[in-house]
Amino acid sequence: MSPNPIGARMEQLAQALAERIVPMVIEAIDIDALIDRVDIDKVVSRVDVDKVISKVDVDKIIDRVDVEKIIDRLDINAIVEKIDIDALVEQTELGSIIARSTTGILTEVLDVIRAQGVGLDDFIFRWGNRLIGRRRRIAEWPEGPPLLVEPREARAS
Amino acid sequence: MSMTLPGPAPELTVGRQGHYAGAVSRLVAFGADVGASWGLYTLGVALFNAAYKLFTGNSYTLSNHRLLAVAILAVWEFLYYSYQWAVGGRTIGMAVFGLQVVTVEGGPIGTKQAVLRTIGLALSVLFFWFAFWGIIFQRERRALDDFIAGTAVVYSWDARAARLRWMARAESAPKGTIAHRQEQEKRLEPEEGAAS
Repeated sequence: MSPNPIGARMEQLAQALAERIVPMVIEAIDIDALIDRVDIDKVVSRVDVDKVISKVDVDKIIDRVDVEKIIDRLDINAIVEKIDIDALVEQTELGSIIARSTTGILTEVLDVIRAQGVGLDDFIFRWGNRLIGRRRRIAEWPEGPPLLVEPREARAS
Repeated sequence: MSMTLPGPAPELTVGRQGHYAGAVSRLVAFGADVGASWGLYTLGVALFNAAYKLFTGNSYTLSNHRLLAVAILAVWEFLYYSYQWAVGGRTIGMAVFGLQVVTVEGGPIGTKQAVLRTIGLALSVLFFWFAFWGIIFQRERRALDDFIAGTAVVYSWDARAARLRWMARAESAPKGTIAHRQEQEKRLEPEEGAAS
């Protein structure tokens, strides 16, 4: 309270007046008419949504959410009944997925068979030449045509 | 939980691309080709017999005319090998087992080489013991048909699964492979660009 007694009185008077006048003014205001006058789109366009979102602590909100409670409220059976399984299968192109996985398996099996062949090729080549005393010489032989495989000397350097 | 089967080693897969192919792979591929060409020939003969019966009402069996049957088979076999080699350097059997016919230098073969190689293969089959030893004892693993046509046979399979495993495990392809050379060239490219 103000130390001046007149000032204190005036202050009390003003407060009493405000207490009476403010409710009367509020009652007199037509809020709907006021809102009608406001251009909401303009107000919204001024709002920096990114700034607002950046201030929101999403993790904190998520932590507060009780997911199990939400799930308990959901009627899963009703949702499942609503799903058109045929349409879903059509959209996922199940046929192409099966074909792709089958191709992958076949490729892998073929790789193994081919690798076995390469192993046997090496075995027969090595032992065949070893039997006729060419063990050292075959180590210098080219591994492939010059356009496809670098010569051993070039690789060594 | 996912489970990964142990795959073939890179030394036997990606690392062998472009290398001379050995006896077993080539023999197995040839066996597959013999089966495929015979199968297609038999199917063709059966279809011809059915069509002949359908249009004329009489039945005709090619095997009753042996000389004609042998001549048709010879022409068919010639077309089977020479056409496929001319088009892509590989037959069905070679494609399955990941082999390819290339020139001695390693380039793609032409029609003339494909035809010569087919003739050479026929001779190789006739002189089996002599013709095929080159695959084991010759330095470029060339058989008689390869010498006649000026060709060689290399491993050319992509080995997709093996490549993926290799890439997951190692930073670079095995030394001496085309993939390794391409990697080296790629690495050099930015340096050359910066220098210029």
